[in-house]
Amino acid sequence: MRRACSASRKSLPNKLTTVAAPRRTPWRGWLAGILLLGTLGAAGSAAVAHLRRPNAAFVAPANFPALVYDVAKNQPYEATFELGRQLFYDPRLSSDGTISCGSCHQQSRAFTDGQALALGVAGRRSARNTPALQNLGWHRSFMADGGVRGLELQALAPLTSPQEMNEPLADALAKLNADPEYRRRFAAIYGPGKIDTPQFLKALAQFTSALVSADSRYDKHVRHEPGGTLTAPEQRGLALFQQKCSGCHATDLFTDESFRNNGLDRTFPVDSGRAHISQLPADAGRFRVPSLRNVARTAPYMHDGRFATLPEVLAHYDHGVRPSRTLDPLLRQPDGRLGLPLTAQEQQELLAFLNTLTDNSLLTNPRFAPPPAAARNQLPLAGVGR
Amino acid sequence: MKIRFSTLGLLLLPLALFSGCKKDSDSLEPTGSVNFTVRNVAGSQDLVLNNTVATTATGETFTTETFEYYLSNIKLIKSDGSTYAAPDTYFLVDQAKPSSLSFTVPGVPAGDYTGVSFIVGVDAQKTGLTDPATFTGDLNQANNMYWTWNSGHIFLKLQGTITSTTPNKPLTCHIGGYTDPNNAIVTATPSFSGAKLTVQANHTPQLHLVANVTKVFDGPKPVALSTFTGAHMPSAQSVQLAQNYAAGMFSVEKITTE
Ligand code: HEC
Ligand code: HEC
Repeated sequence: MRRACSASRKSLPNKLTTVAAPRRTPWRGWLAGILLLGTLGAAGSAAVAHLRRPNAAFVAPANFPALVYDVAKNQPYEATFELGRQLFYDPRLSSDGTISCGSCHQQSRAFTDGQALALGVAGRRSARNTPALQNLGWHRSFMADGGVRGLELQALAPLTSPQEMNEPLADALAKLNADPEYRRRFAAIYGPGKIDTPQFLKALAQFTSALVSADSRYDKHVRHEPGGTLTAPEQRGLALFQQKCSGCHATDLFTDESFRNNGLDRTFPVDSGRAHISQLPADAGRFRVPSLRNVARTAPYMHDGRFATLPEVLAHYDHGVRPSRTLDPLLRQPDGRLGLPLTAQEQQELLAFLNTLTDNSLLTNPRFAPPPAAARNQLPLAGVGR
Repeated sequence: MKIRFSTLGLLLLPLALFSGCKKDSDSLEPTGSVNFTVRNVAGSQDLVLNNTVATTATGETFTTETFEYYLSNIKLIKSDGSTYAAPDTYFLVDQAKPSSLSFTVPGVPAGDYTGVSFIVGVDAQKTGLTDPATFTGDLNQANNMYWTWNSGHIFLKLQGTITSTTPNKPLTCHIGGYTDPNNAIVTATPSFSGAKLTVQANHTPQLHLVANVTKVFDGPKPVALSTFTGAHMPSAQSVQLAQNYAAGMFSVEKITTE
């Protein structure tokens, strides 16, 4: 079953296609699911019934590489997506009831927070900048250092971190199990019994994996769809980007998922990036290449939020790159100069191009917004938790 | 004998096919259970959390607040060298939970066993999985023996206070890591010292293990508490401590039969 599944994943259609997904190809069902879950409006119960059928028609992002997430292990269903959405926006999951995933991951900012360093319970600061949440099913690892190896596992980090939600997993499960509404909703999906770790993490992942961004003006441009016209400066920016940036910000996901040192610092006493996980000196100062989708909305930039604006980022690549043993070779010119020389006009054109990556289907889709019921949860949950 | 077995095998074949390709001989061999008990000690004293003062080989001292570790991949060894690897054995021993100090391995083929081995920790294949549904029982991350920022189980947790320094300082050992160069997966093979563990159907012998907490520091690569700054992540220091506890922490106290 799994072999068949991964084999069929390789045959992901690479042209824009509307496919009647045949039975027994879980990834197709899943893609259908996430894309429909993502793009349907408040379409109501007719759509729900539609989603539960394995043969729903769907459109796959033709310009994306193969999916990484093992869909067969978390088949998308409307009810599970809605449950995951409820969990994502529920501040009761934090130790003091003030912080939800959505506090730091805000939809209008492509699920970032506008802060240099994330702000958790009791005003505590994380060590890193909140990244955008999008196309997570295509990630090979998570976090700026790649320390987390799966989407479900990822949620445990902010939940239990003292700087973020500060809630031991056992306590979070106890809160969920003490809430009749959650009991009812989990039981409707997973059957009777206690809400346990896999159920909780899988439901959350149904929401986070549905956050697909594939409909920016740039996407329409490469797929030759209506609304995909780029202006002359934007086109020149695209060409420049392909020439200077796509060695790292590769494919239409705008990352090759590797860990690179883009020359922010000479030494790395505070945050060694990938080396924090691998303990290898050769990884010091390397960070996961981030996607640049919706980048106009995700300021401030870099793992520590040091740059407030995109012009500052471009200025960094032009003349701010600092040498170190692990600096990426792509940022050393043959003449020994560091960085990527960019004239003022080239910087303007790159900026124009980066703005075409803004995708309102992610930023304004009501299905990704806090659920109406979340308002109820702003009240502290009496008698439960610590 | 031979004929009887293969005839039976033929008879059982359709059944075996139906039940998902089980080895046809499995159902013929009588099996029993082995009950393991663990007694955590500090040298010659029983370990009492927040109380017992443990003394290392060089005379340094510490007290223990938390002492937890996984025992997994349990194998029983016969005198002819053949082994029985008990499938899916993952047990979390937690000094704060008396019920965790005893566990039973069922389905052990009958016979006389002369040795045991187990991983102190979790094998790489298991802990490296990313689907939380695979972490059943003691492996559940809700047990707080899992690194959320660096996916993988914590194999051994020892927390307390170093009392031989002035001032005293906190003691933190969170040992784990399953990839090179900081692979801290170690196997312990405490000796039966010539004793035999006899497994029969409907009959549960008990293997009494003793685990000496001071051996986290004493061992082939001793660690001085005066300069120890803790172990919090996969690291060379973690591997060093794991090599110590693999070598000397566990011993077999006795083997009994109810
Ligand atoms: C206090 C702010 C905060 C909260 C609350 C928070 N996150 Fe995050 N999130 C972050 C930061 C900061 C990172 C990056 C951490 C790093 O790189 O080490 C991150 C990373 C992520 C990533 C990985 C993205 C990537 O590209 O690797 C995912 C997925 C994610 N968070 C989902 C969640 C979920 C689900 C929740 C709720 C259970 C949540 N977050 C709660 C701040 C937060
Ligand atoms: C050598 C590889 C490499 C090249 C070439 C490169 N980048 Fe990056 N880029 C990175 C890495 C790695 C990061 C993340 C660094 C961090 O988090 O500290 C990054 C971060 C960024 C960010 C911040 C994103 C965010 O959300 O914080 C922007 C914007 C960006 N790059 C734009 C560009 C542009 C435009 C170019 C071409 C002019 C370019 N990059 C060339 C590796 C590269």
